[in-house]
Amino acid sequence: MSGTELSVELAHNVTALQERLGESFDIVFHPFPIGGRTSAVLIYIKGLTDLNAVQLHVLKPLLLFEDSGPESVRARLSKIPVAEAEALARMEDCTEQVLTGNPVLLVDGCGEAWSFGLAKGEKRGIEEPVAESVIRGSREGFTESLEVNSSLLRRKIKNPRLHMHQLQLGEQTRTPVVLVYMQGKADELLIREAQTRLQRIQLDSVLESSYIEELIADHRYSPFPQLLSTERADVTASYLLEGRVAIMTEGTPFVLIAPITLVSLLQAPDDYYQGYMLGTFIRIIRYLFFALSIFLPAVYVALLSFHQEMIPTILLLKIATLREEIPFPVIVEALMMELMFEALREAGLRLPKQIGSAVSIVGALVIGQAAVQAGLVSAPMVIIVALTGVASFMIPRYPLSISTRLIRIPLIVLAGTIGLLGVIYGLLAVLIHLCGLQSFGTPYLAPLSPASGKQLQDTVLRAPWWVRNRKSR
Amino acid sequence: MPKKGTISSVQMAAMLYFAIMATAILGPPALMYTFAQQDMWISPIWASFIGAFTLLLVFRLSREYPGQTYVQICITVCGPVLGRVIAGVYVLFYLHVNSIILREFVELVVSKFLYNTPEMVIVAGMMLLCAFAVRGGIEVLGRISQIVLPVILSLLFLLLFFVIPEMNLTFMLPVFEDGLLPSLKGAIPPATWFSEFFLLTFLLPFVRDGKAGKWSAISLGAVMLSMVIVNIFVISLFGPVSGSFGYPVMTFIEYISISNFLEHLEAFVMMIWVVGAFVKISVFFYGVVLGTAQTFKLKDYRPIVLPLAGLHIVFNYWSIKNASMLVYYLQKLDPFYLVTFQTLLPLVMLIVVKARKNWRKQG
Repeated sequence: MSGTELSVELAHNVTALQERLGESFDIVFHPFPIGGRTSAVLIYIKGLTDLNAVQLHVLKPLLLFEDSGPESVRARLSKIPVAEAEALARMEDCTEQVLTGNPVLLVDGCGEAWSFGLAKGEKRGIEEPVAESVIRGSREGFTESLEVNSSLLRRKIKNPRLHMHQLQLGEQTRTPVVLVYMQGKADELLIREAQTRLQRIQLDSVLESSYIEELIADHRYSPFPQLLSTERADVTASYLLEGRVAIMTEGTPFVLIAPITLVSLLQAPDDYYQGYMLGTFIRIIRYLFFALSIFLPAVYVALLSFHQEMIPTILLLKIATLREEIPFPVIVEALMMELMFEALREAGLRLPKQIGSAVSIVGALVIGQAAVQAGLVSAPMVIIVALTGVASFMIPRYPLSISTRLIRIPLIVLAGTIGLLGVIYGLLAVLIHLCGLQSFGTPYLAPLSPASGKQLQDTVLRAPWWVRNRKSR
Repeated sequence: MPKKGTISSVQMAAMLYFAIMATAILGPPALMYTFAQQDMWISPIWASFIGAFTLLLVFRLSREYPGQTYVQICITVCGPVLGRVIAGVYVLFYLHVNSIILREFVELVVSKFLYNTPEMVIVAGMMLLCAFAVRGGIEVLGRISQIVLPVILSLLFLLLFFVIPEMNLTFMLPVFEDGLLPSLKGAIPPATWFSEFFLLTFLLPFVRDGKAGKWSAISLGAVMLSMVIVNIFVISLFGPVSGSFGYPVMTFIEYISISNFLEHLEAFVMMIWVVGAFVKISVFFYGVVLGTAQTFKLKDYRPIVLPLAGLHIVFNYWSIKNASMLVYYLQKLDPFYLVTFQTLLPLVMLIVVKARKNWRKQG
């Protein structure tokens, strides 16, 4: 690393820094005399720096200081009561410190600058995670601030082996990214792999962890999430304790966790916080509905278009009566409804909360009810699509429910063209893809296949703690 | 060399089980009945000796040449020219056999479920899937088999469970009415399937946990047991008319009615069976692809997967023209064809290898 060294002359340094930082109203160059003799300039950014602390701990002592030559100024500066004081020799360091919010002090006659760790950004408070709510368990969610997030983790795991390595990504944004792992628990190879993958990233900007997610995933062409993103501190802590690595990004509450498996995407923290019987029951229900959310509409379409004989007669008659007036074939009906549902979901997401309820009224009552009454859509189809929607809402991880949506529509098309055989072909294709997927070298379908008996007790079931932990028996 | 992977011996056993049972529950019960009548359930036990013998051959050969498939062994033993010719014949043999399996699959789907669907859609869809799986490598195949096996077995046994009330075990009497001969004759058709255990030669180099012997024996036992159970069901449900159905298992499942609500489960069975057929065709296909790659010493087999899949589709139309030809083939030709290639010729190969070894020792 090389750069422009700071010169001894203050004026030269100031003009050079002014050139680098440009003319912005919020970057302040504050000139003042140290002890009334040596001229100095303090550079900071309004709103990013704790001005009270600067005045109290930096400006005041320096202004009141009895100056007796450059050496005494140096000595005085080293006694400034700020924890993160640092001497800088290069221009680049100065700009970086200023831009992160730390005030930088330039002193005439010194070839060095000092930065003080007095940055203070406006932060959001710690709130309950919106996307991952639980009935029982911690309500702490990550925020946009890296420091807050790391402190949340430290509070949960008070262990010196919890290591956090920082690096900066993004040519333009210089976003701090932190790799977190438990030394000794996480596989050395995994840590090294994660580090090299992160270092390989060349991006202009990193505004969200998804930028990183796409670049460090094993397989580029997959609808399935290959890293788990969570905004819950307890979830992150539990994965770290299992020996996985987490990647925290400044500016987003979403932390990435690797490696993951399909099963871990279907687990919710509640499974562990509530009793094991309920946990197991909910888990089985969730697996069932996860499967339904993928193929329920496809199977319905296939049964009604090709295999009517499989439907019990009374039920078939009922459906046939309801479908009598419908002008469309089942597949068209299904695709229409699916698209409608996707549109409603997206619209509800984008609208301000106050009008959000209007969408559900329009969607559910006006369109749904009216379409059925007008005989454009059959009631069973509405039920199927609604059930699928509910099923996909049951998936605890949003990215996975996106993948089920992406798979569902091609499956409906296959079902409408070659019936159940098409559905099976489609599901087999998904299965082949899943069997080939890996997340940081871990098979995506583990521990189902390759099977591991010990881990299975925590996949299909949620084994009680006294079974999982022999010591506490 | 093609991409190296590792499978567990459990996965290997699952693959072998599928590679044999997927079609063994279709035609063979009826074929066995024509020879063995009420003793048909004993026939698989005799036939399993062929399977055990084949497995033994594969293990003996792989002990002489560890980590090599039969194709490689051919080249090592018979030299680069003659060896390649023999290897090429084997590749063609598996291509042919697999295309006939594909034919069986299509015949069943077209005759039972999708009467009007163009065959090409069914064939091409299946081969695309298999190509996709084989491109993923042996590990993907192993994982699929392992994940699918418990699901399929439990569904199948659930279905069998529902026909238990209809069974009439007296159809199985008298046992050994005409001595051992009928049941031995009945062992001829299933011997075909048991000789397919020779596919182990393509899987064995990838099994590295040292339990291949135990698990292939378990696989053999499971296949035999499944065939015996299926045959007991067939004979005790249909009795004297067992031989008149093309696919007796499919036929009795059609009669399942669960509290008059769930009926006509054959489409459901088809779903199960498509998965089984998919694994079976994929495992054979893997043999073809790996064999081709090893015959021509290719570094990577993936580029030839799709062309070979296309070749399967063509062979599938060439080799068997219609359903009656398929039945004739399965009944009359298949046993001798498959047993020759998969059991007798490897035996000759083993004798050659041993003889040459002794020769060298003496000379």
